Amino acid sequence: MAGIKVTVREIGKRHKREVRLGPHATIADLLQKLGHNRETIVVRRDGKIVAEEERLSNGDLIEILPIVTGG
Amino acid sequence: MLKCTFCGRRAAYNRRYAGVFLCDRCLIKSVEKRFRRAIAGHRMISPRGRVAVAVSGGKDSVALMHLLAGYGKQKNCELVAITIDEGIKRYRDRSVLAAQKNAKSLGVEHVVVSFKRAFGATLDQMVKLAKRGKTGLNPCTYCGVMRRSLLNQAARELSADKLATAHNLDDEVQAIMLNYVRADFSRLHRLGPTYPQREGFVPRIKPLREIPEKEVALYALLRGLKMHLGVCPYAGGIHGEIRDFLNRLEANHPNSKFMTLRMFDRMKPQLAKATPEFEIRRCENCGEPTSTNICKSCELLQGLGLERRQKTLISPKSS
Repeated sequence: MAGIKVTVREIGKRHKREVRLGPHATIADLLQKLGHNRETIVVRRDGKIVAEEERLSNGDLIEILPIVTGG
Repeated sequence: MLKCTFCGRRAAYNRRYAGVFLCDRCLIKSVEKRFRRAIAGHRMISPRGRVAVAVSGGKDSVALMHLLAGYGKQKNCELVAITIDEGIKRYRDRSVLAAQKNAKSLGVEHVVVSFKRAFGATLDQMVKLAKRGKTGLNPCTYCGVMRRSLLNQAARELSADKLATAHNLDDEVQAIMLNYVRADFSRLHRLGPTYPQREGFVPRIKPLREIPEKEVALYALLRGLKMHLGVCPYAGGIHGEIRDFLNRLEANHPNSKFMTLRMFDRMKPQLAKATPEFEIRRCENCGEPTSTNICKSCELLQGLGLERRQKTLISPKSS
């Protein structure tokens, strides 16, 4: 089965990027691939905050918002 | 689509340590419930009390101010917000604006106290002086000690009976670990949801202490609160290493943060018994409460060739 391609925008970084994953990949898989700890970010999928266990679909726009801020 | 365990709407969050999914509405409700439970359980706020809330403009303090404003309306408590402007270029100036906007939108009295006016130098300037003088102390030492001192003094001058800070579960567990690693027994045993009444100190309360950082962030985002999400340019060092370690632990073993906190809370009464109470004196220099002749703020300032300039922080013009 063919894999999927999603667009990722990491808030605070200038450029979006495209990431290829396996056909049944979840947001948690994407975060692992990008080296993000789920404790330190919030994920928006097509503008809505979602749980990391959601399955990704081809063409999704995923925004990653770092929440560990301050000092 | 993943569904909320409680209402069946679309899930926005997997609360792994409890084995449940929460939708936006149930997460907001749950955070508000925990906030109220902390206040009631630890008797943090007296009826018709006057609470000062420390607001930096970041997600935690903005969320806390909104929660306290709602609580205050119901319980007839007065709320006053205090922002300490340490003088960190391109960081604190932006978050102060966020604090001001939120206070204004809630109709909360807001006071800004600056390092520059109180001590004659911004934190940025102190960091340069410390480097030049080779004090060997990092920016967080100056910032932490002096910010706490100014918050206490401002809250006292504003006649607050409690000073609320937005420490969340992650902050508290990091502090437990840090004091453990540094073998700082006296600081370790003082950690807790509330601090006792002592002369010259406005008792501090931490209503978000049992809410994970991620849930506070989700609460603020889902409620559409305006906040500053910048990272302090001085952040890092051992604090950052402990934070990263705890986040890795939690990701691999959900509930580790809560268990660390629970264990500490069980040990706390024994720790307190083993630590002698110190006598409170007045700093010979500035008059603020201290356990030694000179308070820590004045000691650090002297090491930089500075001194407290403002004996009184709150004038009618600054509020």
